[in-house]
Amino acid sequence: MFELGLQAIYSGVLTGGYYALVALGLALVFGTMRVINLAHGELVLLAAYVAYSAEVHLAISPIAAIPLSLVVVSLVAVLVYVLLSHITRDRELNSLILTYGLGIVLTNLMLLIWSADIRSTTATWFQEGAVLGDTLYSSRSEVIFFLVSLVLVAGLWFWLTRSWHGRAVRAVSSNRDAAMLMGVNPRTTEVLSFLVAGLLATFAGIALYTGKTIDPPLGHALTIKAFIITVLAGMGSIPGVLLGAMLIGITEALTISFVSTSLQDLAGMVLFLAVLLLRPQGLFGFGTRRG
Amino acid sequence: MIAAMRGFAVLATCLVLALGQAKAEDFVLGSHLPLTGSLAQVGNGMHEGIQVAVDLFNRENQGHQVKLNTIDDESSPAKAVAAVERLASERVVALSGGYGSNIIGPASEAAAKAKLVYITSGGVGPELSQRGLEYFFRINNTEGYSKAVTGLIDDMGVKKVSIVYNNKEATTDLARTVEKTLSDAGIKVSSLAFDGGHADFKPLINKVKLQDHPDLILMSGYENDYIGILRAGNVLKPDIKAIVGVWSLATSEMNNKFNDLVQYVYGTSMLPYPAEFATPEAKLFAETYEKLYGKAPDYLGQFGYVQTRLLLQAVLRAENDGTLGKGGLADELRKTDEETLIGRVKFDKNGDNPEFAQRMGQHQGNKVVLVWPAKAATGKMVFPATPWSK
Repeated sequence: MFELGLQAIYSGVLTGGYYALVALGLALVFGTMRVINLAHGELVLLAAYVAYSAEVHLAISPIAAIPLSLVVVSLVAVLVYVLLSHITRDRELNSLILTYGLGIVLTNLMLLIWSADIRSTTATWFQEGAVLGDTLYSSRSEVIFFLVSLVLVAGLWFWLTRSWHGRAVRAVSSNRDAAMLMGVNPRTTEVLSFLVAGLLATFAGIALYTGKTIDPPLGHALTIKAFIITVLAGMGSIPGVLLGAMLIGITEALTISFVSTSLQDLAGMVLFLAVLLLRPQGLFGFGTRRG
Repeated sequence: MIAAMRGFAVLATCLVLALGQAKAEDFVLGSHLPLTGSLAQVGNGMHEGIQVAVDLFNRENQGHQVKLNTIDDESSPAKAVAAVERLASERVVALSGGYGSNIIGPASEAAAKAKLVYITSGGVGPELSQRGLEYFFRINNTEGYSKAVTGLIDDMGVKKVSIVYNNKEATTDLARTVEKTLSDAGIKVSSLAFDGGHADFKPLINKVKLQDHPDLILMSGYENDYIGILRAGNVLKPDIKAIVGVWSLATSEMNNKFNDLVQYVYGTSMLPYPAEFATPEAKLFAETYEKLYGKAPDYLGQFGYVQTRLLLQAVLRAENDGTLGKGGLADELRKTDEETLIGRVKFDKNGDNPEFAQRMGQHQGNKVVLVWPAKAATGKMVFPATPWSK
């Protein structure tokens, strides 16, 4: 029983790292622009498909395909931003509709280009076991991308809190007009947010491609998972995304091990609803000040 | 006079062309399949087989031509019903297609209301053929898969089996049928359901490894489930003698794409790989399939082809007998008794095919070897063996 629980927690932590990678980009755009990019999961999936094409047609490893995926995903992320920037009324609601539609378009484009077949890396190195102390089991891909997620969370947090551009992003999110008066160009800042979200989506896509299987309808499920984690963490809290993602991962793994495998997603959703009821601002978010 | 003759010639030419046009599209066959959405992969695979059957029919029957009208149901039951209603309004002669028991159920009921024959191989749930629908036909079923899986496990002589199954309808039905048969045979069985998709299977396989200690793991799921479970097995290395799956596993695609991962894994398969097409019909099917799609046919293509071929043959018979427009197609289809690419097909009063029996294949190197039943075997099973013990 102890061994089962320990492995469940370990698997949950590693899965949490992967979930955090998927959610970070969405959380960044949500935190800076108050826009929920419902095409974010499709961007993650696009990065995975570019890695697949690079592996099959150029015979390069998924890791070496990161620059190529980054270029493609960044271009699409900027395109999403350009379309969003044309919304002048009811931005929060209309951006939801627009990005949802873009998600459908991207899904069908991926279906046309890569067909509906299941894909995953053929490089077996990523799937080999990485055993810790003869009791904790994982694949190499999981360990690598868990470490990558830690580095990216720390890097993103540092960028947002310590760099001028990061502060500009926070300033625009906090008060767009005041930021403009202080010499910040909101458009440049927002494009930058989308580009960074594209970078995060790229790493998430490579983690997905090396660790799991992909098919075109998967993007929508990734967006839902990212949205749940973003809300659970609390708006604008980057370290909260990692902790919230781990909480979801551990809850799901413990549910599989001790309750029922079928209830895995339900357990995550119950946790999400409980947090929404008890702490609407999220686990690590701040309450809205009124006055 | 010359002008009148010219006019007559033009009129006659137009009439001949018009008649030729009508003749060229004598029948419109309707189909709804999930070409997009979560079932897009299987939907497209089946559609390829249906298209091959239509192409071959048109090649063999110059007098009667068939046009295929397919609507994408987007993996949604509601859209499948709408697709059937639209195809009925467009006066299709019958319907071939559908994937997923939850989609086929309402779609075939809509077809029955429109008095349209509906033939499928995309849903194996027992309840589908127990509804008393006069116009519903199916060439495969859970029983046929269950017989093959339990027959193989029985031959292996294992004592403890863990079944891990996707909680979708067809996979659950199969898992329960196999569990009952194995339990009745005195084998100790434990079952664990999981949510399909792209989950991390390590906690599940770890539970099987630490709590169940089985001799064999049976997976009832789909491609991405198998890949996830086998990868989890490869990391956790449970001490088992064999790992068995059902559909979508002992295929050329899995052997090519995930060769290391699937070594010594068993799955249902009508044909070995590389495929050996023995009969002239099977050879023609494989040639046409490869010409159209540039790849070897898989099991989905075979099922789509067989159901459509049987349907079109019945349409032709009913047309020749003059009963097609008078509701005679269902009666004609019920007379079917034929050896096909998937074995014998003979429909009972519910439109089911009790003759259906699958075979079991095992991935061995770059091949899928048929290992059960003995009369169909193309090689010996490698037992005990798993991908991680090789």
